[in-house]
Amino acid sequence: MPICDSSDNRPNPSPLLHLEQVSKAFGGVRALTEISFEVAPGEIQGLIGPNGAGKTTLFNLVSGALKPDTGGIRFDGMPIQGRPSHELVALGIARTFQNVELFGSMSVLENVLVGRHVRTRCGFWGALTRHAAVRKEEREARQKALELLAFVGLADQADSPSRDLPFGWQRLLEIARALASEPRVLLLDEPAAGLNRVESDRLGDLIGRIRDQGVTILMVEHDMGLTMRVCDRIVVLDRGRLLTEGTPREIQRHPEVLAAYLGGAPAAG
Amino acid sequence: MPRRHLPYILFTALVAAAGLLVTNTYHFQVLIFIGINTLLALGLNLLMGYAGQISLGHAAFYGLGAYTSGVLTAHWQVSPWLALPAALVLAAGVAWVVGLPTLRLSGYYLGMGTLGFGMIIFIVFREWASLTGGASGLVGIPPLSLGPLPLYDPRAYFFLVWIIVLAAMVLSRRLIDSRVGRALRAIHDSENAARAVGVNTHGYKLQVFVYSAVLAALAGFLYAHFICFISPGSFGFMVSVRLVTMVVIGGMASIWGAVFGAALLTLLPEWLHAFADFEMIVYGLILITVMIFMPQGLTRGLIDAYLRFKRQPAQPVSPASP
Repeated sequence: MPICDSSDNRPNPSPLLHLEQVSKAFGGVRALTEISFEVAPGEIQGLIGPNGAGKTTLFNLVSGALKPDTGGIRFDGMPIQGRPSHELVALGIARTFQNVELFGSMSVLENVLVGRHVRTRCGFWGALTRHAAVRKEEREARQKALELLAFVGLADQADSPSRDLPFGWQRLLEIARALASEPRVLLLDEPAAGLNRVESDRLGDLIGRIRDQGVTILMVEHDMGLTMRVCDRIVVLDRGRLLTEGTPREIQRHPEVLAAYLGGAPAAG
Repeated sequence: MPRRHLPYILFTALVAAAGLLVTNTYHFQVLIFIGINTLLALGLNLLMGYAGQISLGHAAFYGLGAYTSGVLTAHWQVSPWLALPAALVLAAGVAWVVGLPTLRLSGYYLGMGTLGFGMIIFIVFREWASLTGGASGLVGIPPLSLGPLPLYDPRAYFFLVWIIVLAAMVLSRRLIDSRVGRALRAIHDSENAARAVGVNTHGYKLQVFVYSAVLAALAGFLYAHFICFISPGSFGFMVSVRLVTMVVIGGMASIWGAVFGAALLTLLPEWLHAFADFEMIVYGLILITVMIFMPQGLTRGLIDAYLRFKRQPAQPVSPASP
């Protein structure tokens, strides 16, 4: 890799997420070719690249929505490629969607409660009998969900229908829902898309606070200002290949990145 | 007492009052059929309205419940109360085996899959004559009794059926309000997002399919031991369609929708006998009218009508105020 200079002096703890030679093709189109990189625990890692670079495909591979053709993905040392989404969420990988996919017929609180799914146990029988343990679990889930709504700033919207929320709040709700599964890695797919300046700044603060809770973050983002401000490291994809990776400062100076992605103009830091 | 319990308490009181006040055997019979149909619609409503999965073969599970208990009691003199668990377990097992592959389908394809399943079961009822009595039906199914207490009296049977229906309504309500119910509604809203938050979508669809099949088999048991005679025609394709109609007319994703839909579709044919040859035409017209003016179904439609009615008196007053 071009950027492996002295500025990259992190202690290199064992990575939380590790992609090794991951490739994926759709029909004859190669969406991703031999992508390898790591995400260290506690970091906010950005994933950038022009449209069609394969960012969302990569997210779908890591979150289990797609299987890689070749290559391996490790989560905390454990191979996870090809395992179904619901198992990965239980392991601690949560995601949000580029186009916000909420459960529209449910209230804000219920959306977050569905997010608690993998951390609660009540099954069919428990639901029908509603015994003491189930009631206790339900109370605790509600408590936790309300705390998360407060954390993202939607506490007073708990009972609103989620489809009535303004778009910016829907994004926050989707993040709260993802956090409800107590993830160790949170995948954010263009969290600032469709947000205005103020909302985007608040989102940046929220992402920082999520990391402070010990959650590692991998985010795809087009908003360069936000990416450069919040990310510790950035991976750049271009046409399905890994172009480079490094700190925001390094990425901003990287000639190929400037050529391929930033159109020659240095982005605002 | 939480407010949400109120409708159930009122409805229980209504059922009890009907059970005590009605004297006419024919009326009891109609009310019993409404109960049986409510049970069927309830399970299907959970599957269609909450989990968003269609079944065009639901009469098959109704038939499986009726025939399992019917055959065991009529041919081998098994106690109906032993035949009942056998019927429920068989229906659950069949639902599981059928659901495993078909619930991987969606939309029209799931409709076609369940339709085919319903046809196969119907043909089994009709052609396996040595066991089921074939097209001419199965006779000699004993009526129910509870220890020394005979239940063939219509009033007693009415209470039996409606206690079971009320219990099923409460259980279904509990299911919907639980973690499981939220997972089902999540699947309905966005299967993609449901998977992404960790819901095993296929597993839950399968579970609710089995639950609805068990309710249908229970309804079949109640039907078989009430009429004491069953024939394949009661469990054919048209019956499956009628069940789907009950769910849609009553209102999807609503416990009360099951009750209203079942009641309307049970009562309508009884009321429309007067139209003789035109019965089916009037029947169809009524269903079309309901769907045009209450596309969300009777439950939502009646609630909206009530809200409009409540607002109405305020309007004539406003022009008079300065």
